[in-house]
Amino acid sequence: MRVLVTGMGGELGTRVAQLLEARTDVDDIAGCDFVPPRRRLHRAHFARIDPRDHDRLTQFVSDFEPDAIAHFGVYEPHSRMSPDEAAHASESCTVHALGAAERTGRLARIVVRSAIDVYGRGRGHPLVPDERAPLAPTSPYGRTCLDVESVAAGIGRRLDIPVAALRYAVVAGSHVPSPLGRLLRLPAVPVPAFADPAFSLLDQEDAARGMVEALVRGFDGPLNLVGPGATSPWQAVRLGGRIPIPVTGPGWAVACRAAELAGAPIPPHVLELMCHGSVSDASQAVDALELGFMVPTQEVLADLFEWATVTKLPEQARVA
Amino acid sequence: MRRSALAPNYGIDADRVLATDGVVDAFRRRLDGRYAVDEFGGDPHLTDVLARAVSPVQVRVEHAENIPRTGPALLVSNRGIGVVEPVVLVLAVRRAAGRRLRVIGAPELPVLGPVLRKVGAIGYRPDDVAALLRAGHLAAAPLSPTWLRGGVGEPPRALLAATLGFPVIPVVVRPGGPLGLPLRPWRVVVGEPLLPPAGTEADDPLAAAEISEAAREAVHNLLAAT
Repeated sequence: MRVLVTGMGGELGTRVAQLLEARTDVDDIAGCDFVPPRRRLHRAHFARIDPRDHDRLTQFVSDFEPDAIAHFGVYEPHSRMSPDEAAHASESCTVHALGAAERTGRLARIVVRSAIDVYGRGRGHPLVPDERAPLAPTSPYGRTCLDVESVAAGIGRRLDIPVAALRYAVVAGSHVPSPLGRLLRLPAVPVPAFADPAFSLLDQEDAARGMVEALVRGFDGPLNLVGPGATSPWQAVRLGGRIPIPVTGPGWAVACRAAELAGAPIPPHVLELMCHGSVSDASQAVDALELGFMVPTQEVLADLFEWATVTKLPEQARVA
Repeated sequence: MRRSALAPNYGIDADRVLATDGVVDAFRRRLDGRYAVDEFGGDPHLTDVLARAVSPVQVRVEHAENIPRTGPALLVSNRGIGVVEPVVLVLAVRRAAGRRLRVIGAPELPVLGPVLRKVGAIGYRPDDVAALLRAGHLAAAPLSPTWLRGGVGEPPRALLAATLGFPVIPVVVRPGGPLGLPLRPWRVVVGEPLLPPAGTEADDPLAAAEISEAAREAVHNLLAAT
């Protein structure tokens, strides 16, 4: 199997490439991203290509002729790019990488990264949606993910190949750049004054395992991938030893501006999570992909705060 | 590095009532954030704390053996006044079976909705109730309120359609004294579980109508017998 990993420079893309390298049924791995991989890769071939550079991206994919794609070229706003750049890069990477792979005539399966934000949040939306719930995103990131799923599903229908959409909860971990992680690690964190909605997190290793399993099994259809259990803004803030700042109504605009100045901008889908929660039913994914134990949300959260602990090394003798 | 030494959810079970903290420990736990939150917004530690406030309420449970000790079930109960009965039912299940009951019907209103969800209630969306039962919880779906009239209200057909396949348990809640005055203990009578025929699929309208009628009739019969 020749696997293309788009977005290989991210934490998840790199980890998926590592897991694929360990498999004997994967012959060749190639990947691209605008930043280099986060860990050492042995077999995988990486090309540093900006996802918005369609000519180079198309050429790279055409030359590689993949028969499977793990599509991580879906960029979360304020994770590594601004919201506008992230939406543009996601669209460009999806259309050009998947389009070029389709034209090679060898493509046999696709798995795309999506998010549970495609279900939307708030009044009139299900509290714990499963895969059959209506898709009605209420944030720009949710709409981006839905567009990515639509493009991949269209290619799947034309080529009659399986297309899996992995709808992730917020992926958090010690080294994952995430706007929610940055927000929760601020010394004082804005929280809803009159609500405390539940949200779930997903461990980075579980997210990577899910992608690899969906790819090698050739799963067809959407799957929610969410860590067991949940947490809430007030609990997360207290667990991290931070100070909760109750906010309501127009106060959120002020809180968003203050958080941005403090280095943790709050994109709309994270604001939605804080105000309306973000959970979903992941029982189908656990069964279909035989994932076994998944890291509970509470442990993912504990990891997030442990990251802030830096062990200082003793000062060495001056070299010069 | 993982905090593998931690008990899951800090030793709090979202379904079963385990040992509860003393007042000081409970306060410290809230302050440190060491409590559980479930996917449906419930905060079992908070319900444990609040349960102390209603501990003087006396409830007598009959046929408590019909409440499953593990696994999902939908309790269908009568509702006269509409507010007190669900609280009594939660207390009855908590005391008789050591489990947490999730009452269906939290309104989607600011402040009130989140507060009720926090103490274990859930909204009326059939999909969410089905997800709650799939997760192995006990839920209570009151019949439509009859206010101070006799008899039982209409069964929640849409809910029963979405949750077909799970056991439905008819329950009757009667006030202890006239007009719900706490002169005698509240009385909760639990009926035999009802199950649709084997092989029934969710959203089968005929099976849903049949089990709705069976549940209403079972609650009516229990009410007549008490």
